[in-house]
Amino acid sequence: MLIEKERTGAYVLEQRYPLPLSSAMPNVWELWRRAKTLEWDPQTDIPWEDLHPERYSAEQRLAAQMYWSRRTWGEYGAISESPALLLRFCLERQLPDLQFFFTMRTMEEGRHAEASWLMAERLGRYFPQPQNPPTAGAVGTHGVRRMAFDPETSLEGIFASLVCAAEEILIDVFKATVHKATNPAVRRLMELILRDEVRHIAFGWQCLDAWAPSFTPETVRNIEAAVTTMIENVEFRGYRNLWLAIEGGSATPAEIDADRISCEAGLGGNTPEDEMQVFPDFLRKIRKRMAPWGVSLPMFDHPRLGKV
Amino acid sequence: MSETREHAARLLRAYQAQEKRFVERRFPLEFVPEVPALRELYSQSKGLRWNPETDIAWDRFDPSRYEKTTREAACRTWSRRAWSVYPGLTESTALLIRFCLESGSLGMDAKLFLSFRPAEEAKHLEVCHMLAERLGGYEPDPGEPGLARISNHPFGQAALDGDLPVEAFVAALGALDDQLDLNLYVSHLQQAKDEVVRAALRLIAVDRARHVAFAWAFLGSRVPALDARGRAAVIAAVSDLLTNVVLVGYRNTWLLPEKSREPWLAAEAETARHGLGASTPTQERGVLRATIAQVRERFAAWTLDLPRVEHAELGAI
Repeated sequence: MLIEKERTGAYVLEQRYPLPLSSAMPNVWELWRRAKTLEWDPQTDIPWEDLHPERYSAEQRLAAQMYWSRRTWGEYGAISESPALLLRFCLERQLPDLQFFFTMRTMEEGRHAEASWLMAERLGRYFPQPQNPPTAGAVGTHGVRRMAFDPETSLEGIFASLVCAAEEILIDVFKATVHKATNPAVRRLMELILRDEVRHIAFGWQCLDAWAPSFTPETVRNIEAAVTTMIENVEFRGYRNLWLAIEGGSATPAEIDADRISCEAGLGGNTPEDEMQVFPDFLRKIRKRMAPWGVSLPMFDHPRLGKV
Repeated sequence: MSETREHAARLLRAYQAQEKRFVERRFPLEFVPEVPALRELYSQSKGLRWNPETDIAWDRFDPSRYEKTTREAACRTWSRRAWSVYPGLTESTALLIRFCLESGSLGMDAKLFLSFRPAEEAKHLEVCHMLAERLGGYEPDPGEPGLARISNHPFGQAALDGDLPVEAFVAALGALDDQLDLNLYVSHLQQAKDEVVRAALRLIAVDRARHVAFAWAFLGSRVPALDARGRAAVIAAVSDLLTNVVLVGYRNTWLLPEKSREPWLAAEAETARHGLGASTPTQERGVLRATIAQVRERFAAWTLDLPRVEHAELGAI
């Protein structure tokens, strides 16, 4: 059974040795070290007693439930998909720093998923799926697992699209709106997620900066294509925020408006005005940040954001 | 393309092919606890977190108390232990992905638990590495083809193999192999005299006890509902792992083919003699027999009969 498949070559053996374990990227190793000192528990480190959902209107509670449910689905993607990157690091025998750090990242994403689910539950209800199933395509996957297992897809492209684009915009919006979360439990949760995500993003940029001197023209094209795909096919399909979905999909008006209503109630989320401000700034920032690598991102047309 | 890159591409393609055989149904995505015992183990993982750098009193570890030969031996023992911890990074990650691929509506307790396990394995790996470094320098390569081969199995791919029921994988790797591994750690802890080594072994053993409890609790929630084919797969996987992996020295150096045992066996004997984190072959033999008996008895509670195995040195087990 197990061994038969090993003997017949149905399972491919890793070339495991030599197995270096010493740090070779001090900046990334430092992120692993920090992650170990900053662990937290969604059950005990959020002031749930200060949530008081009864103080909000039914409309506000519903919107916040929807917002935190969708966040849960998004965070789950980081349990279901991104861990494939850790496998890739091990199979490709990438530096130990990457492997060690990414184990903590998987753990932290699990924590974020649990915390977001708890928030929806404690606000009254977690929604286990979008109101109309077709929306599942937009909010269901960013496709990182498939990319991670594909040897033709460069690691640099995956890092640039997942970490430096998808996670970066998520955190830019969090940073820009955390002050609007007047509810103490929601605010604390956002701060804790933000603290972890800052490390995740730093990891991506540090790796790409370190690898940049060896980028070939093909690597640069891979990065450009991967980031463009992430913006056009994931962000602009409403993976993070349904208001951004160009075609609208089959999301209901209540789902699309949930972020705004929840944000205005101080329960997390953001408004279209926030997106109008943060998204163009984010694109400007990553364009500038990637330019020294020779990466040139195109301008994107969006019906509500304009040409960004 | 270099040979290493080419091989890595082959490995990735193998995982890619396995992943493509699943059709992930992410929604409905349920988070409510299904198996409270598993959710409790996840809660314990969060509550019992520790840091290899700060929760072990490294400043009290004084390798100069030991002879050079003892330090070298212990260094070798802890290096070999690191090699045996390392596969946990890929195996537990692949198992997490498998659960996610199988269903969004089932198994969240297991997924949350498994989202923590790779980091716990990484912490154990770091401890082994730190000890080996302090004892003289971690050795990254067995340098002996037999040991290198026997300590390297593609169990990560097995975790993602749709033909292998997930219960069979957990029974073989969790209920048998993790259980043996835990029992060996407990034995090493009982023999260890150095306080820093004892602290390290205790911290690792506490995590590993949770990993084993996960396997038994998971099996308890699934095995009673398995059909005959699923039950046969469980027994076949466990028997296979016992015969072709455990009994050829995956965890126990004294079971390796004779030409592959040294210098590891002598190193473990010296490490055990000085209480630096190992057991003697006699002690390990007792642990192995007790573990197999324990596994067999627990399987019997589900009327799963683990067949006896013949071994050249150990006789009928």
